[in-house]
Amino acid sequence: MTTPLTLVPGRRPDGTHHLAVSGEIDMSNIGALADALSTTAGPVVLDLTDVEYLDSAGLSVLFAHADRLELIATPLLAPVLKVSGLSDLATVHGLD
Amino acid sequence: MTHSGKAEHGVPAARTGVSTDGTEVFAADREIGRGLAAVDWSSTPLGPPADWPQSLRTAVSILLSSRFPMWMAWGPELTFFCNAAYRRDTLGRKYPWALGRPASEVWAEIWGDIGPRIDRVLATGEATWDEALLLFLERSGYTEESYHTFSYSPLRDDDDTVVGMLCVVSEDTERVIGERRMATLRDLGSDPSVIRTEQEVLEFAGRQLARNGRDLPFTLTYLFREDGSSRLAGSTGLPGGHPLAVPVLRAEDTDALWPAAELSRGATALVDLEDGRFPDLPGGDWPQAPRQALVVPLLQQGNAPYGFLVAGLNRYRALDDGYRGFVELTAGHLASGVGSARSYETQQQRAEELAELDRAKTTFFSNISHEFRTPLTLIMGPLAELRGRLADDPWARSELDIIHRNGLRLSKLVNTLLDFSRIEAGRMQARYEPVDLAAVTAELASVFRSAMDKAGLAFHVDCRPLGRPVHLDRDMWEKVILNLLSNALKFTFDGSVSVTVREEDGRAVVTVEDTGVGVPAAEVPRLFERFHRIENARSRSNEGSGIGLALVQELVTLHGGTITARSAEGRGTSFTIHLPFGTAHLPADAVAPAQAATVPAGVSSADPYLQEALRWLPQGTADRPADAPQEQILPDGVTAGRPADVGLPARVLIADDNADMREYLGRLLAGAGYHVDAVTDGQEALEAVRRNAPDLLVSDVMMPRMDGLQLVAALRGDSRTASLPVLLLSARAGQEASIEGLQAGADDYLVKPFAAAELLARVEANVKLARLRTHHARWRNALVDSLQEAFFVCDDKGAVIEINAAFTDILGYGPQGLPYAPVHPWWPDERTDPEAHRAVSEAFDQLLGDPSGSYTIPVTHRDGHRVWVTASFAHAQDPDSGRQVTVGTFRDVTAEHYAIQRESALASLSTRLSRATSLPEALSGALEELQTLWRARCVLAAVFDGGAEPSLTATDGSDWRDLPAEQRTAITEVRQHPALTSVPQPTGAGITVEHPTGPMVVWIDLGEHRPFTEEDQLLLTLLAGHLAQGLTRAHQIDQQRETAIALQRAILGPSSLPEGFAVRYEPATQPLEVGGDWYDTISLPDGRIGIVVGDCVGRGLQAATVMGQLRSACRALLLQDASPAQTLMALDYFAATVPGALCTTVFCGVLDPESGRLTYSSAGHPPGILAHADGTTHLLEDGRSLPLAVRPGRERPEAEYVMPARGTLLLYTDGLVERRRRPLTAGIDQASEAVQDGRDTAVDDLATRIMTRLAPAGGYDDDVALLLYRHPAPLDMSFPAESAQLAPVRKALRSWLAQCQLPPHTVQNVLVAAGEACANAIEHGHRDAPGETVRLRAEAFVQDLRVTVTDSGRWKAPQPELNAHRGRGLTLMRSLMQQVTVTPGAAGTTVHLHTRIA
Repeated sequence: MTTPLTLVPGRRPDGTHHLAVSGEIDMSNIGALADALSTTAGPVVLDLTDVEYLDSAGLSVLFAHADRLELIATPLLAPVLKVSGLSDLATVHGLD
Repeated sequence: MTHSGKAEHGVPAARTGVSTDGTEVFAADREIGRGLAAVDWSSTPLGPPADWPQSLRTAVSILLSSRFPMWMAWGPELTFFCNAAYRRDTLGRKYPWALGRPASEVWAEIWGDIGPRIDRVLATGEATWDEALLLFLERSGYTEESYHTFSYSPLRDDDDTVVGMLCVVSEDTERVIGERRMATLRDLGSDPSVIRTEQEVLEFAGRQLARNGRDLPFTLTYLFREDGSSRLAGSTGLPGGHPLAVPVLRAEDTDALWPAAELSRGATALVDLEDGRFPDLPGGDWPQAPRQALVVPLLQQGNAPYGFLVAGLNRYRALDDGYRGFVELTAGHLASGVGSARSYETQQQRAEELAELDRAKTTFFSNISHEFRTPLTLIMGPLAELRGRLADDPWARSELDIIHRNGLRLSKLVNTLLDFSRIEAGRMQARYEPVDLAAVTAELASVFRSAMDKAGLAFHVDCRPLGRPVHLDRDMWEKVILNLLSNALKFTFDGSVSVTVREEDGRAVVTVEDTGVGVPAAEVPRLFERFHRIENARSRSNEGSGIGLALVQELVTLHGGTITARSAEGRGTSFTIHLPFGTAHLPADAVAPAQAATVPAGVSSADPYLQEALRWLPQGTADRPADAPQEQILPDGVTAGRPADVGLPARVLIADDNADMREYLGRLLAGAGYHVDAVTDGQEALEAVRRNAPDLLVSDVMMPRMDGLQLVAALRGDSRTASLPVLLLSARAGQEASIEGLQAGADDYLVKPFAAAELLARVEANVKLARLRTHHARWRNALVDSLQEAFFVCDDKGAVIEINAAFTDILGYGPQGLPYAPVHPWWPDERTDPEAHRAVSEAFDQLLGDPSGSYTIPVTHRDGHRVWVTASFAHAQDPDSGRQVTVGTFRDVTAEHYAIQRESALASLSTRLSRATSLPEALSGALEELQTLWRARCVLAAVFDGGAEPSLTATDGSDWRDLPAEQRTAITEVRQHPALTSVPQPTGAGITVEHPTGPMVVWIDLGEHRPFTEEDQLLLTLLAGHLAQGLTRAHQIDQQRETAIALQRAILGPSSLPEGFAVRYEPATQPLEVGGDWYDTISLPDGRIGIVVGDCVGRGLQAATVMGQLRSACRALLLQDASPAQTLMALDYFAATVPGALCTTVFCGVLDPESGRLTYSSAGHPPGILAHADGTTHLLEDGRSLPLAVRPGRERPEAEYVMPARGTLLLYTDGLVERRRRPLTAGIDQASEAVQDGRDTAVDDLATRIMTRLAPAGGYDDDVALLLYRHPAPLDMSFPAESAQLAPVRKALRSWLAQCQLPPHTVQNVLVAAGEACANAIEHGHRDAPGETVRLRAEAFVQDLRVTVTDSGRWKAPQPELNAHRGRGLTLMRSLMQQVTVTPGAAGTTVHLHTRIA
């Protein structure tokens, strides 16, 4: 059994990929996130507004796509994203 | 008999017969048992024997079956019991009165001494040991001085409480008093100086007597004076001028205090002192003065006493034979001291007189020796006539023969001396005539033929005619030849003597040759020296002046000849004379023509030589039995009398090589009543003395083989004969000779010739003196023999050379076996008992090496039984030989040794039993003790508990089936014997003991062929009794303890607490684990937790029983209706029905662990304390009402309080906070502070801290219950190591963190960090074994939060290049938490996360 995670893919008006994630990301469900990201090409806006938990397993997936990701997060995730250095590689919104 | 009346009242019918009234417990000793059975026990605190506890019965059995004196006291009044041995030795007239009485009454007179000791035993349970304690007993009708060695050991009842004591005692009175008296007698004899005046003797004795103020509180010594009056010569124990110490008692004074007249006749008197005449009489070492004085004479052998001794008597001892004997021995010593001193004075006078006499004699002999001839002639002439006339009277003839022979000898000696003086003066009237040398010589030689034959020597005379005459002076030649032949005979014991005459080189040659002893080469040149004698030459006689050969040489020289000697030691001597022919060498006026030999030449002048020679030879050799070399001389025709003042006829041994002298002395002494034996030389004398020592030895100085001086030296050198008195006789006059004799150790010295009267006087004086002198020795021997302790003397090699009678009594080895060389026969056998052998060997080294010491060792009696002795020894110098000797005594301490062994064995068994925590442990421990005690190969116990086969406990771990069939049979057989009866076995013993589950046989197998002695049997019986008691006790205690602990734990509280709680409980009454206070937590069906803390009135078991009921009731009520107020109201009704429950205070609450909401109601209980995370405190003072059951039915209020996060709740009973002279609020404040200070401490540690911090100086004196809760309770969860578990774990953690009321970002940080730790545990820790358990624990403190994740695997070092995100995980944890610790271990890895709560 994996931790419930909802992935809603879509396109932004400008055509860039958009992936809305809600739930908790841990080692049990990073496969789904990785798959979802792999099916896209080019820049992706990843919306983590509804993610309540993100650990190093999830970060490892995000690091793999860091150069084409634009993250929308909340202050809740800020420590994780900052500490891991992901916020330096990818564009992150909503941390403050 | 049946008392039906009692039966009606519900009392069981009185038990009938011996078997049911309980008196069978007394069966072990018929006599004392009867006495004990006759006691009206129901009137004692112990009650009738049938009701006695097993422990008392066992103790009584052991007591009665013991052969050692014992008594015991039992119960509140210390009721007295004793056994037969105690009755015999100590109880005396108090039997049977004492039985069943309080011990303090039985021994009222010594209760001051023994009472405190008994109290100590009862109070401490430790045994006492007293050795030879002085106790004044009233058992014989007077206050008696007595000594006891005893041990008091505790007796315990079935509950192991000390309720009495057992005394094993041995009475030492005889020994202590005996030793004390012996010490005085020994001291009296210990005066090192021998030569003293009478006054010195008495002063010395007085000092010794004064040291024994117990047996001799005072003494007075009186000496008789010539006028019949008595003079006080010494006193002890009395102040100067005391009316008792009358300085002079006049003879005619019949009213005198002391009956001097009777005493002068040798009688003894007992004088009463209690008539009030002497109110100030001192008591010596005692508090009270003597009642009587014993007056004994100072006896003198054969004469009136010297005086008398007055001895004040110890009023605490009866005047028995021992006491009387002691006083008499003391007097005897004083008498002998006075006697010695007086006799010494006499002897000194006499010695001076004798020296004067010797000087006169010497002068006399030197002046008139040449005047001998005339009187000798006048003796010999008439004598010859007399012999002829009295030829028919054999008696007279025999006497005259002696005179004749000795007259001849004396004449010869005088003649020789005169010859010398003539020769020296040149006045020798020689007459040389031509003679046939061969014929003359042969004729002279023939004179000796019979003597040679008699001596068993071949005598060759080869004198062939020379063809021409030789000029000789016949008289002189006779002397030459006779001297040479006499000499040859004297020194030749076998072989031959030959005389030859030849002509060689124009000279006549005469040779006298023998095969005798010869002389050493160095002595040959001195053979002809005048007065030179060859020392140590073996000869037939030591008679001889040493001038014979010198004369021969002078005579030969006068003949113009020469004499030479050749000699080889052991082969013989040859003298060769060369004489010239003719007359040219002779003075012309002395040459005479040949004379017809009208008288057969040599006959008359040869007589003295021959007679003398014959006397050297054994007389009547054929008639003497070979085994009786000494001649016994009986008084011939004289009625045997006794020398005055001598008891038995004294035995005198005569040693003289001169047969006449032997006979003469023998007749003389036998006639005076002595028993006389005679021997012919020193060697024989020595042997005779060693065989059977005479009273006096009379010995000649000059004797063959061993002379008198050597004999004396040999006697003095041997301790057995060192003191034998010796009177030396010698012909050598002069001071020097006598000094030599006395220096050699002779006691007296008599110079020949002596008058018969003088000899007899000397002999008598010496015998008397010797008897006096040996009085010391005999007295010493008597003393040593009367010692109760064994006495021994060892030489420097350790050989035992002297022992006394007690030595033989104790060890069985008598004086006939002396000396006993080491290894002594009483040493334990090295093979069968190496340990004991080593002990003795070490002690022996100590004996030889140390100057003094003492030791206790095991030795083996001659009959094989083991004896323990305590020996004391000291090195000393043997005054006779100067050698180092060791003098020692020893005491038989076998009984003491075994008593101590029993004590210590009982003690160690008791210790072992009391240490045991279970019945099997008690038994196996006891068996080990027995094994150690006996050094047994194996000790086993078979319990016949009804099973198919006995259950076996063995020190070697063997099983019943492991035992040989015959041993199983033997063990089963022992079971048939009565309990506690030791049954001897070939290599040990068996005994039946009651085991709680059935009869048990204890079996001791010593293994070797070591005897299991009677002592061992007794000890085994004692130990078995203790063992039975111990096992019963262990069993009972086992059961009680198990029951009690189970019950207590059941009523105290829950065995496990919900998370977040900590409790402490301290009952005021040890060793109870419960009291009147309680705490309880109840998990309610709705997830809430019921919390109860209560306090019943009182403490101890009673309160605990009330508490248990209330706790159970409260718990049930809460489960039924989770409302604290309702619960307490219902409890009011319940408590009203329980006695002792009134006024119980209770705090009853219900806590929602999720929200921290606490609903509570208090029945008069002290308020709960709530310490907030912010440092403030809240008291739960609402919802209060009366204590339980005070107003049943009255409504109780209920209050509510929501516990803030990380707040700590303390509930307690008043024992924690209530102190005398201090308001309760002060205690509550103190408790509040303690909780506040521990806000950051885990609750369990905090509980300990509070208990410690609030404890009064002497510990809690009331029950204390304490309950702590911190909200929220720590989160503690375990989950399988699967990634799917991460989400639910996270959920639970998030919810718990919410209860902790933490800031959101902190919550998220903790969630991520803990999530990473869990992920690590799942991924790394359990990669190879998925599904194992991971544990997460989170605990909140006021300012800190701690999370621990534990798995059972091993983490690998992070390798970021392979697992980038895992490396990130650790980085994340470290950055999100204040502190991260990863502790890898063999059992798993633990991650500690710690963060501050901002």
